Amino acid sequence: MQRRVCIVGVGLSDGPVTPELSGVMLEAQSFRRALDDAGLEKDDISGLASAGYGGMHEVALAEYLGLTPRWLESSSVGGSSFEFHAMHAYRAIQNGDVDTVAIVYGNNQLSASGRTLGTGGGGGGGRGGMALPLPMAYEFPTGLTLVGAYAMAAQRHMHEYGTRPEQLASISVQTREHAGRNPNAMYRDPITVDDVMSSRLVADPLHKLDCCVISDGGCCVIMTTEERARDLPRRPVYVRGAAGGTTHHSIAAMADMTRTAAAVSGPKAFAEAGITPADVDMFAMYDSFTYTVLVVLEDLGFAPKGEGGAFVTDNGGNLRLGGALPTNTDGGGLSCTHPGMRGLFLLCEATRQLRGDAGDSQVPGAEIAVAHGSGGWLSTQGTVVLGTEGN
Amino acid sequence: MPDWSEVPKWLMPRPTHEDREFWEGASRSELRIQHCRSCGRHQHYARMLCSHCGKQTVDWVTATGGGTVYSFTVIRQNGVPPFNERVPFVVATIDLDEDGARLIAAMPELDPADARIGMRVRAAFRPAGEQLGFVDFVAAD
Repeated sequence: MQRRVCIVGVGLSDGPVTPELSGVMLEAQSFRRALDDAGLEKDDISGLASAGYGGMHEVALAEYLGLTPRWLESSSVGGSSFEFHAMHAYRAIQNGDVDTVAIVYGNNQLSASGRTLGTGGGGGGGRGGMALPLPMAYEFPTGLTLVGAYAMAAQRHMHEYGTRPEQLASISVQTREHAGRNPNAMYRDPITVDDVMSSRLVADPLHKLDCCVISDGGCCVIMTTEERARDLPRRPVYVRGAAGGTTHHSIAAMADMTRTAAAVSGPKAFAEAGITPADVDMFAMYDSFTYTVLVVLEDLGFAPKGEGGAFVTDNGGNLRLGGALPTNTDGGGLSCTHPGMRGLFLLCEATRQLRGDAGDSQVPGAEIAVAHGSGGWLSTQGTVVLGTEGN
Repeated sequence: MPDWSEVPKWLMPRPTHEDREFWEGASRSELRIQHCRSCGRHQHYARMLCSHCGKQTVDWVTATGGGTVYSFTVIRQNGVPPFNERVPFVVATIDLDEDGARLIAAMPELDPADARIGMRVRAAFRPAGEQLGFVDFVAAD
């Protein structure tokens, strides 16, 4: 009999601009806050997951935090790494390999590196004479940027399905509306579709306001067994299903730029969770760019392929509170926080919603939420289905 | 039109035993890709195995240089020299006429306003030092 698995604590660091805090300090701060939220102490943590700093970071982090975990996880697949961590922790807890896992990420991307992630060349950041790993050796000399890779995919979607830049812009507008209710969001003033369309083009068809922010910030999510969760103060949030996959690394190898691995991970995770897209009350989606949201809405089945543009704008905006699928209710990467990678913040926001802790942004009666991470150049996709009840 | 002839040291190709043929071919104005004897398809970039069928039966061939734009973007912001002085410029994903082979290339000579998905393009070559080269694309005549 597999054990049921719950999220029992979440923690967010200070943010979105914290020049006085290093990445590991942000990790430690969010870890402490998640422990407090969960009613746990550090020695209750028997598994640790982290990513984003290269080899052995999770080991160094364990030492920094004074942990001696017997279960370690460091899948490093870009911004969706943390959906993979949650999936792997879910399986390991289900099967009894580990009881209580902390997933931790923090980065002072903005304060340390500035806003260079998307246009700093190739995959972001200076290269400083380092050997270029395949297949990027072929891409950097073209002058392609990270934004440019997503832009090419968006352009193809517009070509095949008639998707309009104004529809992409609407995603940013609706997300900003959520950010306006979040005092911790980086940008909170309302914007219009015209504002997005008249912001400068970074890589056609993506404008500056189609791109996520770069911020500082940390996040921690703690998962444990249903049995342990019963003794803890917070309303447990159940992991009901999870799946992931990849279709390519570099954008050149994305066979169909209008379809991601979410078209596989979504149905698999939904089937395990025993839900359909219509059952989902709230969506926490990795909005690296507006197009990322649009294509994954289709891939997960919230809209038919090619109709994502209509879906986001129908009904006065389906991503708003009161829309068919309130999405990124904290303000998302587009307006709230994006410290290099955002995947863990999605699990945090979905958990807050299902606990009824989302304040002014609460989706009334939310019972099922989906956290979906997209990493690399639309390369890796991870879907996690959460619920107020187990399955 | 911006000058694309400068190749800063960090952008110089660093050929390996596996891919030297591609970079040296470009300096001879040849687009070198791999063809699989087992499945008949092609691939770019060079690999030990065919990425389509998995067999270790790949040989170098010279592509015709013809292709079709699958998608493109206009890079209007790139903070890294020398690209910061070249913007705006077109970068395209190109399906080569050889089945199975796709690559990303700059199209420095193309007016961004003229870029279209589906447009026919051909390879053009740009030196990177004495022995190596880059493959760009231009609009087909």
